[in-house]
Amino acid sequence: MSDALREKPNAEPLPKSAGAGVIVNGRYLPPPVDKDGKQWVRTSAFIQASPQDLYAMWRDVEAIPLWQEQITAVTRTGDKTSHWVMKSGDKTLEWDSEILADEPGERIAWRSTGGDSDNAGEVIFETAPGGLGTVATVLQEFRMGKFASMWETIVGRNPKQAVIENLRHFKALAETGEIPRNQGQPHGPRGTVGGAKESLYGEKVETPPAMDRKAS
Amino acid sequence: MKAVCWMGTSKVETLTVDDPKLLNPHDAIIKVTRTAICGSDLHLYDGFIPTMEAGDILGHEFMGIVEEVGRGVTNLKRGDRVVVPFTIACGNCSFCKKKLWAACDNTNPNAHLMEAAYGYSGSGLFGYSHMMGGYAGGQAQYVRVPFANVGPLKIESDLPDEKILFLSDIFPTGYMAAENAQIQPGDTVAVWGCGPVGQFAIASAFMLGAARVIAIDRLPERLDMARSVGAITIDYSEDDVSVLTALKDLTAGAGPDSCIDAVGLEAHSTELQGIYDQVKTKLMLETDRPSVLRQAIQAVRKGGTLSIPGVYGGLLDKVPFGAAFGKGITMKMGQTNMHNYMQPLLERIEKGEIDPSYIISHRITLDDAPEMYKVWRDKKEQVTKIVIDPWAERKVA
Ligand SMILES: NC(=O)c1ccc[n+]([C@@H]2O[C@H](COP(=O)([O-])OP(=O)(O)OC[C@H]3O[C@@H](n4cnc5c(N)ncnc54)[C@H](O)[C@@H]3O)[C@@H](O)[C@H]2O)c1
Ligand SMILES: [Zn+2]
Ligand SMILES: [Zn+2]
Repeated sequence: MSDALREKPNAEPLPKSAGAGVIVNGRYLPPPVDKDGKQWVRTSAFIQASPQDLYAMWRDVEAIPLWQEQITAVTRTGDKTSHWVMKSGDKTLEWDSEILADEPGERIAWRSTGGDSDNAGEVIFETAPGGLGTVATVLQEFRMGKFASMWETIVGRNPKQAVIENLRHFKALAETGEIPRNQGQPHGPRGTVGGAKESLYGEKVETPPAMDRKAS
Repeated sequence: MKAVCWMGTSKVETLTVDDPKLLNPHDAIIKVTRTAICGSDLHLYDGFIPTMEAGDILGHEFMGIVEEVGRGVTNLKRGDRVVVPFTIACGNCSFCKKKLWAACDNTNPNAHLMEAAYGYSGSGLFGYSHMMGGYAGGQAQYVRVPFANVGPLKIESDLPDEKILFLSDIFPTGYMAAENAQIQPGDTVAVWGCGPVGQFAIASAFMLGAARVIAIDRLPERLDMARSVGAITIDYSEDDVSVLTALKDLTAGAGPDSCIDAVGLEAHSTELQGIYDQVKTKLMLETDRPSVLRQAIQAVRKGGTLSIPGVYGGLLDKVPFGAAFGKGITMKMGQTNMHNYMQPLLERIEKGEIDPSYIISHRITLDDAPEMYKVWRDKKEQVTKIVIDPWAERKVA
């Protein structure tokens, strides 16, 4: 082997293998498959901000309604615990949550501890290759049943897509200070077909933050 | 306010709708002083682009006066005169940082729809389907412009609107098409389609050093316009003309150094494959009619460049990829990265190097728009470009 091949002048160390990780010991790790009523979703985004800032933004639980869909309030109940309220129309879901792992600038893991939801998740923040920005990876798990099916019916989004959208919103907010929105624009009469398409396209799910909590 | 609304395939109506309001901190509301109908609007009119909803306000080429700005807007103030790019960019994501503005990550509220259809999402666009953002368009008296710190270009001079308006899309689009063609001094460039995009691609190819530009279309007024700026023209509809033979004849058998497809997915064809494409698109087995793309791949010289500003929407049949591979050609394409070109092209206009208003054939009111969409589609009345004054009253004859 020539020296040029051995030196790898630009190679980066491998990412660490946290639970949500995509690479473990140099091998690609596919996302967990749905099994025994448990659903998994893994999603990631490349964000132009430091891991530290993104960690701080995610860890600020009371500000989560600013970027997570349908979450109307998160109240801190302790150092690592919080109470969550999710609303759509006149329906409400509530649950408690606790943080299981808290590694500043790197990783947060959590699970629900009671109420209308059975979920657990993890987010990891890693400096992106080349040192430009951060790769944020979320792994979330739900137990199907009451929570997921209720969520699906009231939110009009399946819970997996909601996790993907929430990371998208988080990234937009971190990079630009706002989440792109098309609700509240003028339009001509939608008719029945246009109206049905709006629901189908998920456009009835309110883009966070809810309009009545936007400071303008 | 009045606005031009898409109400279904081949159905456009001018209706009274609510005025737009500020919805996000970086929004601006623009009072539209001029707007235009684009070749891209025809793909919506003809139902080629999925995820339109009845009631959608059309229009992505517009300029005007800033009426109101959100609290996060620092570059603009009420009263500023601006021209707005049709692609919406955030300025902060990794793609914007790489100046790939049309690939912006953060401006499409419906990114999931595009991901479901295409496996990726591009930037949001004004008035161009829900998959591409569901933003209300600018064929209206007012329009909301999101991420207003990044897109709108302020016009400080008193040049008339008509000279500025096409910085919103087609002039930069034609220019990027020529840039993507990788023209070297002395090159021969062939341009399919002499619509507005083709016209600006022709003008830009000359600016970038082409020795000869060959323009291909069938509409006499458009071919005349191309000749008037120095192009050699081929009328592909003439009985005894084969475009491929003509291009060989004009390049000593080698083929053009660069080919530009400024037609896109609704190309007409006089050949058998055109009928094949029509049948297949009707049966939904093929989404686009790529007859120009096929021709351009066949025509370009060995090692040449194919630049594609014409829009494609989906699956294409019988693309001669073997020829593309065998000749080792380069293909460059995509929605225009508008923000790279607006300022430099404005400077060219201000210096008097080009007056883009030469392509305008029709000046109309919002109320005229529904019937003019039909004229535009059928290329009647020698139409080359339609500009709308949203505040003009319709003349009753
Ligand atoms: N890439 C971008 O960002 C971008 C921006 C604007 C427009 N566009 C696209 O550019 C294309 C042209 O736009 P336009 O406004 O000039 O539209 P247009 O409809 O006015 O022009 C199309 C021209 O192509 C000609 N044509 C049709 N079939 C042909 C063939 N087989 N050979 C040669 N010419 C043929 C037509 O006669 C017409 O003159 C459209 O597809 C439009 O969507 C792309
Ligand atoms: Zn256009
Ligand atoms: Zn961006």
